[in-house]
Amino acid sequence: MNKCAEKEVAFFGKITAGITHEINNVLAIIKESSGLLEDILAITEEDAFPHKDRFKKILNRISGQIQRGNDITTNLNRFAHSPDYSPASVDLNEVAEQMVLLASRFARLKNVILKAGHHDESVIIKTHPVALQMALFESIEIILDLITSRGKIILFPRKTDNQYVVGVHFEDTTPDDIVIMQSISSCDRWESLEKTMVYLGGTAETDDSALEILLYLPNSIDK
Amino acid sequence: MENLKILLVDDEEEFVTTLAERLELRGFQARAATNGEDGLHMIEADTPQIVILDVMMPGLGGLEVLKRIKAQNPQIHVILLTGRGSTKEGIEGMQLGAFDYLMKPINIEELIKKMQEAIKSQP
Repeated sequence: MNKCAEKEVAFFGKITAGITHEINNVLAIIKESSGLLEDILAITEEDAFPHKDRFKKILNRISGQIQRGNDITTNLNRFAHSPDYSPASVDLNEVAEQMVLLASRFARLKNVILKAGHHDESVIIKTHPVALQMALFESIEIILDLITSRGKIILFPRKTDNQYVVGVHFEDTTPDDIVIMQSISSCDRWESLEKTMVYLGGTAETDDSALEILLYLPNSIDK
Repeated sequence: MENLKILLVDDEEEFVTTLAERLELRGFQARAATNGEDGLHMIEADTPQIVILDVMMPGLGGLEVLKRIKAQNPQIHVILLTGRGSTKEGIEGMQLGAFDYLMKPINIEELIKKMQEAIKSQP
């Protein structure tokens, strides 16, 4: 990435992180306000307020949505801070989990379930966090663009000998989609993924039989 | 724990006044300030046992307020409030003498538990 592009990414990150803090403050006020309503409800006599149970149900719903909003802003905030240090040490397990949360909506629109498989140990490498997330997202998008129906995409980080790999595996699909998936490396967007992987000092390969995109990464990148 | 004097300092007025009201309902003596300067004046006028302090505030920032509290009243326990994913400021605050930190939005029961731990830790 050139200097100007780096500055642009850092700018986007900084603004997004600032906005997530603001949204968090809004959520905090809603949470305390609904909490106060719950407190007042708890000290109100049953006879004095006949709609108590209905209010409790609604407050529970608000509470659930606050939690949902909170999870979203937490992940968005982490994502926004990704350009703060580059290269930086990252755990591929954590990156995969975060990508699942950030990209789930895109998968859901194609009836695809997105999941992260967890390697037993931490899989730590020094890399460019933004470009790594971009490579994972590009891999997911390539699969989503190609397939016609439902299925499951699983991100599998792993370490074998001296190789660090994230497998983007596709399963539970139809025979038609299996045929389509076997031509994955000839799709239009493959070249873009390969370029991202070159920037990361790695390669993108496919395992046709296993319906998997394999992202090979070096354990450390210096610049 | 009842009658414990607590000062809440956060620039989000609706957050801090609502949280103070909830703590009052639980028997605490809670007051609220919406900036660091007011918070320090309120400490001088009526010293609380615990200060709940937001890290990110305009003007006098939370960590600067923490330093001043600890310089004048080291016996006051300070619990910091940070944004989600901002553990850096929380850890920095603990190195400056804060008892602990919580991420916003907070859970009131968790906050009360933290306050109990802080009071028990008093020598």
